[in-house]
Amino acid sequence: MNKVVQIFSSRRTWAWPYVAFMALFVVLPLILVGVYALTDIDGHFTLHNFAKFFSHSEAIQTFLYSVMIAVFNTVICLLIGYPAAYIMAQEDFKTPKVMAMLFILPMWINFLLRTVATVELFNMCGLPLGEGALLFGLCYDYLPFMIYPIYNTLQKMDDSLVEAAQDLGANKWICFWKIIVPLSMPGVYSGIVMVFMPTVSTFAIAELLTHNNIKLFGSLIQDYITTTDLLNYGAVLSLVLLIIIGLTSFFGDHDAKEEGGMV
Amino acid sequence: MRRDRFTERQKTVSLKDKRLNTLRHILVYCLLSIVLCPLSAQSNLTYELRVGTTGENTLLAEFPETYSGEKVNIKIIVESQKSKVESTEQLDFVFADGYQPKLADAFDSIYSYTDESNVFWTVWRSNKTIKNRGQRVLVANAYKTFEEYVRTHTAAARMKTGWIWWLFAGLVLFGTLLYGGYIYLQRRKEKNLSPVEQEILRRKRIGLRRHYGSQLYLWLLLLVLYAPIALIAVFSFTKSKVLGNWTGFSMDLYVNLFTGKADAGLNSAILYTLIIALVAALCSTILGTLAAIGIYNMRARQRKVVSFLNSVPMINPDIITGISLFLLFVALGMSQGLGTVCIAHVVFCTPYVVLSVLPRLSRMNPNTYEAALDLGATPAQALRMVLLPELWPGMLSGFILALTLSVDDFGVTFFTKGSGGLETLSTFIYSDARKGGLTPELRPLFTLILIVMLGVLIYINIRNSKQEEK
Repeated sequence: MNKVVQIFSSRRTWAWPYVAFMALFVVLPLILVGVYALTDIDGHFTLHNFAKFFSHSEAIQTFLYSVMIAVFNTVICLLIGYPAAYIMAQEDFKTPKVMAMLFILPMWINFLLRTVATVELFNMCGLPLGEGALLFGLCYDYLPFMIYPIYNTLQKMDDSLVEAAQDLGANKWICFWKIIVPLSMPGVYSGIVMVFMPTVSTFAIAELLTHNNIKLFGSLIQDYITTTDLLNYGAVLSLVLLIIIGLTSFFGDHDAKEEGGMV
Repeated sequence: MRRDRFTERQKTVSLKDKRLNTLRHILVYCLLSIVLCPLSAQSNLTYELRVGTTGENTLLAEFPETYSGEKVNIKIIVESQKSKVESTEQLDFVFADGYQPKLADAFDSIYSYTDESNVFWTVWRSNKTIKNRGQRVLVANAYKTFEEYVRTHTAAARMKTGWIWWLFAGLVLFGTLLYGGYIYLQRRKEKNLSPVEQEILRRKRIGLRRHYGSQLYLWLLLLVLYAPIALIAVFSFTKSKVLGNWTGFSMDLYVNLFTGKADAGLNSAILYTLIIALVAALCSTILGTLAAIGIYNMRARQRKVVSFLNSVPMINPDIITGISLFLLFVALGMSQGLGTVCIAHVVFCTPYVVLSVLPRLSRMNPNTYEAALDLGATPAQALRMVLLPELWPGMLSGFILALTLSVDDFGVTFFTKGSGGLETLSTFIYSDARKGGLTPELRPLFTLILIVMLGVLIYINIRNSKQEEK
């Protein structure tokens, strides 16, 4: 009994239940994705699923298309979000907090409902649904994730560096490109990660915004994984997505989500 | 952020300048009219008849429920799954005022422009489950006829909907002209001022233009961001079953929502969402707080490993978390339902709790807990009387964060809910939207959520600014 008390008075052990929980429900499932990808339906080892992916042109095309859409969306979000964050971080901008709040508020409405409303808005304006609508919807959903981290880094930036540059004779443009942009890069990176990763794996939005005309990789995975016979092939597709996610987060900031905490 | 001579001067400019007020009013007027016009003009957009190919030479028509007594505008979308967007085209089909639509009539009108023997259709008249209640007539070569018709009629349909853009362009032109005239008049007045005064005025104007330009940019962005939400909020005050069809002011949807007259599926979805969110938030708060205390007291290397583990569910997108857990439950042979959804939600909520409790820990004196133990408290007592009072703000914000994450989640729930008919709000909306129509009571529900969140955020903001003043 005494020993038990001893163990629990060392607070280090208090994380054990959590570690065990994570091992069971985070690490093990991720390993299982790999295991399923490498086995056939009876549980025997096989590389057939991978071979199928590399010869399956539809899957590869969808994958490349999804990555392209995600890249486009990230670039658009960056181009729209950076100026917004920059304006909000200006010294003479009076109500940055209210503005930041207004940008975050839509996130509390369920994103599917917002997407449906976007579809309706497009119908009202007589715009066709399709690629344009898809990009609009994606950008609309993930823009706050881009604005917030950039705004945070810009706001924390040391003004004296800019002043020093100006004293040394830099004009506005040089000042912006050589001082402000490089200093805001951490925010830009985490913004990119936070927009790119969910976009590349999105599956419901595309379906709704294009009346099922455009299929993204996420929808493809969903189709396969929910079909019992093709579960193993679905696991291969998930593994591909997982690799992309791993690469992105490896290049991006590790605590990207911490930076942009929404509450 | 930037402080140069220019902005210094800009600061001295009074923003309540009378002349600028006029300009601002013009801008606000333009923006308002852009928003309100589509809303006021759209009383006749109701029915959607979807016609698409499902494979070789087949056509599929989808027709949501009929509602009599409303002005009808049937939209026919021809889509083919083989080729992508290029072939999605829309055309509008307008019935006369007061015409009571019936399914048969709608199909008669389709017959009138396609060869009767060539149409294959399915009618979806669905509420909860998709049931095929229509007739099927299958013949070959339907698509060509349809495509031709669409090609000849789409241009006309586009012209019909094009007026809104003319209005928009007109408004912009109008605003520009007004602004230009205003500037011209100002310049003429200033001509007899001294050069120095002119220069001062010019700089003032540039500063103000920059200021309002950037303001305008943000507000335009917000306008676009809020347009769909405004749509939901506005149409929560009308009875119409279809979003976008205004049938007069009515509070019926709100009444239905609170008296339980709404769709049974929606009611149970709300209930399950709340249950899951509460259970998941509670579990993850307890687990996360203990974990945070543990992680805080670990040695650097251990700590690094656990922190990395902690960040994995946050980096993983929904679909990966969902699929990996789905595979786990399949491999373990667990039947999926409420329990698995709760576990899944705890998985992705806990890391956020850990992250919101950790800063509180690093802010408190690390020795107080040891002191309590030295003074004879048991670990449980020390936890309750020393640690918890210090940590509860972090725990609370973690709890709230977990709650919102859980309510908002779609991807993970979708893969772990199983096929037992368990639906949360997100998955309910998804299956609803896929069928082509939203349960109308969702509109008031989310309007209320928006208002509550707005209230909470304003409250937090006011409280923060008051604390800053102190």
